[in-house]
Amino acid sequence: MAANRVVITGLGVFCGVGKNSAEFSSSLLNGNSGITALDLFDVSAFPSRIGCQIKGYDPLDYFDRRSARKLSRADQFGLIAAGEALQNSAVNGYYSPYEIGVSMGAGAAGMFQSEQWLRAHLSGEDSSPVLLRGILPDKTASEIALRFGLAGYQGTITTACSSSATAIGWGADLVATGQQKAVVAGGSDTLSLLTFCGFNSLKVVDPEPCSPFSLGRQGISLGEGAAFMVLENEQDAMARGARIYGAILGYALAGEAFHMTAPEPTGSTAARVMRDAIAAAGIEADQVGWVNAHGTGTPLNDVVESNAMKLVFGERVARVPLISTKAMTGHCLGAAGAIEALATVIALNEHIVPRTLNYRGRDPECDLDYCHDEKRQTDSIVAMSNSFAFGGNITSLVLGI
Amino acid sequence: MNTLIKDIVITGYSAITSAGSGIEPILELLRTNGDALIPVPDDVPGGLGQRWGKALSFKATDFIAPLKARKMDRCSQFAVAASGLALKDAGIDLQSIAPERIGIALGCGFGGVANSAEFLAGYFNGGVNGLAPMLFPNTVSNAPASNASIEHGLKGPNVTLVQRFCSAESAFMMACRFINEGRADIMLTGGADDLMPLMMAGFAATGQLRRYAACFGEGSGILVLESARHAALRGVEIKGVVEGISTVGLLPKGNELEGVDRLLSGSDSSDVVSLSGTASENPLLVQRVRAESSFDLSRVTGRSLAMGGVSMAVQLACLNKRRTGLHLAASPEGPYYAIRFSGGNPVQS
Repeated sequence: MAANRVVITGLGVFCGVGKNSAEFSSSLLNGNSGITALDLFDVSAFPSRIGCQIKGYDPLDYFDRRSARKLSRADQFGLIAAGEALQNSAVNGYYSPYEIGVSMGAGAAGMFQSEQWLRAHLSGEDSSPVLLRGILPDKTASEIALRFGLAGYQGTITTACSSSATAIGWGADLVATGQQKAVVAGGSDTLSLLTFCGFNSLKVVDPEPCSPFSLGRQGISLGEGAAFMVLENEQDAMARGARIYGAILGYALAGEAFHMTAPEPTGSTAARVMRDAIAAAGIEADQVGWVNAHGTGTPLNDVVESNAMKLVFGERVARVPLISTKAMTGHCLGAAGAIEALATVIALNEHIVPRTLNYRGRDPECDLDYCHDEKRQTDSIVAMSNSFAFGGNITSLVLGI
Repeated sequence: MNTLIKDIVITGYSAITSAGSGIEPILELLRTNGDALIPVPDDVPGGLGQRWGKALSFKATDFIAPLKARKMDRCSQFAVAASGLALKDAGIDLQSIAPERIGIALGCGFGGVANSAEFLAGYFNGGVNGLAPMLFPNTVSNAPASNASIEHGLKGPNVTLVQRFCSAESAFMMACRFINEGRADIMLTGGADDLMPLMMAGFAATGQLRRYAACFGEGSGILVLESARHAALRGVEIKGVVEGISTVGLLPKGNELEGVDRLLSGSDSSDVVSLSGTASENPLLVQRVRAESSFDLSRVTGRSLAMGGVSMAVQLACLNKRRTGLHLAASPEGPYYAIRFSGGNPVQS
């Protein structure tokens, strides 16, 4: 990243533990989990019937009937969260529309609606083609750009569970290099039969609320939502009197080139990416106070991530908490990185290290400090957020206040 | 948005398309004013009277070991094969390059959709017992780039982008940035798309067969980008130079000309123009550019979301030393990209 400090001037989130930043902050500080019984679709055939669904969501609370019909669930979530971030920053209208971009991370996107079309098609029934409108992950970014009149960069990263972390890193780079005055960066994703069936078929879904880094954990709990942040050059933000929530200090990404679903067991590539992100931020590893883990709660991920931590922080690793907010939000796939980046910024501002919920006992292979007992006060001003994905895609963000 | 590109060269490229393997079959079609589009079979729902650019001659096992090929979706097979051909074209010996210094940034349109549909069909038809776990990993759009990275051992930056008909261009811009900021010495970039019969039904249902999905295509076009310094150290032939990239996301009503100015500033005149996506249907763009020659592969090998990879590779193949190229890509409502190239090795010329 270039020398220009990229700051966060707006936050927006819409997920199972908060329909805006204030609600989300409250859940984070109070250790509330949104993982409960799912009713978005029929899950009765599966051993796990839970997840972090946005309950009580009525699109008509946010959109007129015509728009609601044309927008996928992922588009709707994205518009709501990006709208909050943009309103929060008050950046729109300050720069030329061509100087404000959208950097989006996506996953299953409009699959929730598209799979309804497929089911009808396979049954020979008629179905509304509008269900297919959001099948491509790029639609949400386009909708955000159109609705808010953002004519600058428009791009969607689709690297599964690391998508939106990369989108934030890339958005920050566009600002740092002066190519854009502001970028609204984040991600959106929703529960769908595709991902619910898929992760269940791989037997990596825990029938109980996920318990990252705990003994006896059996896998993930799925979630859904969206989170966005507005990124600007610090000098520009200060000149217009914007509130500054924090900064994207650096990021890094790589592919493990190992396996489509299994992480490389030593954690060496994850460690390299974390080190590269720290270097990109222009800081030393000992300035990192804590790490918001990918922390899915699968037996393999949590061990590998713990291994990577040891490679990065060496003897100091016992004093660098590795926490996971997925026991709170569920695994929001394409939106996970953005939601976790947002959680990291909020926690840094509150001077806490969030608690990892749902502790079931100490796993000898996960022998670090995971803040299982309680959230913790901290004077750290720098934290990292990790995102790992199918295909071996890894992204680490370094955030500061 | 203009991106300053410093010292990035193209040292290899290749493609898998409906015209066959490599660039030469496409060049031959351009020379003869022909195309590789064929009628959609009558048994494909929605396809009656349509033509498409299916890569029928592509045989994955010509490029990938059979057991590996079986585990990949068709889009991944395209990406793995085209990447291998491009690496060979660039003369890259992967054993002599640190794997973390070579990465991939790929545009991918409907990648993952075929596996998603097949996986879900198993559930809809057979319930939990109908689920085929082997299909699920390749339902993600990043499967083609990831499979290519696994097959070729690329451990550098790895990213997949989709943004309508500018998916490959979005990836190209990111790949350039990774080289310019020193994250990698070499980046493979371009696009990959597959086309399955179910998509025709979807296109028909949404009315797109009469619009932008007419003559849809599939395949992959990959370019090997390299820092000029690294290429010089390898002593390899340089096939082109990246001169600049511009993009805008939208052309807002009443403010379109400013957007076109930003997009084409300094690049509206060129020796060869490749029009990609829906650029040739945008009068604001087409009327503005001036060129000795231009081509649009939509009418040759088929239009697809990440067709820019093939278009850019073909353009580079058309550029002799000292000639300039402009690659202009557009989607119906944006984004828009203008990528400028020059041909050959500037040091030698």
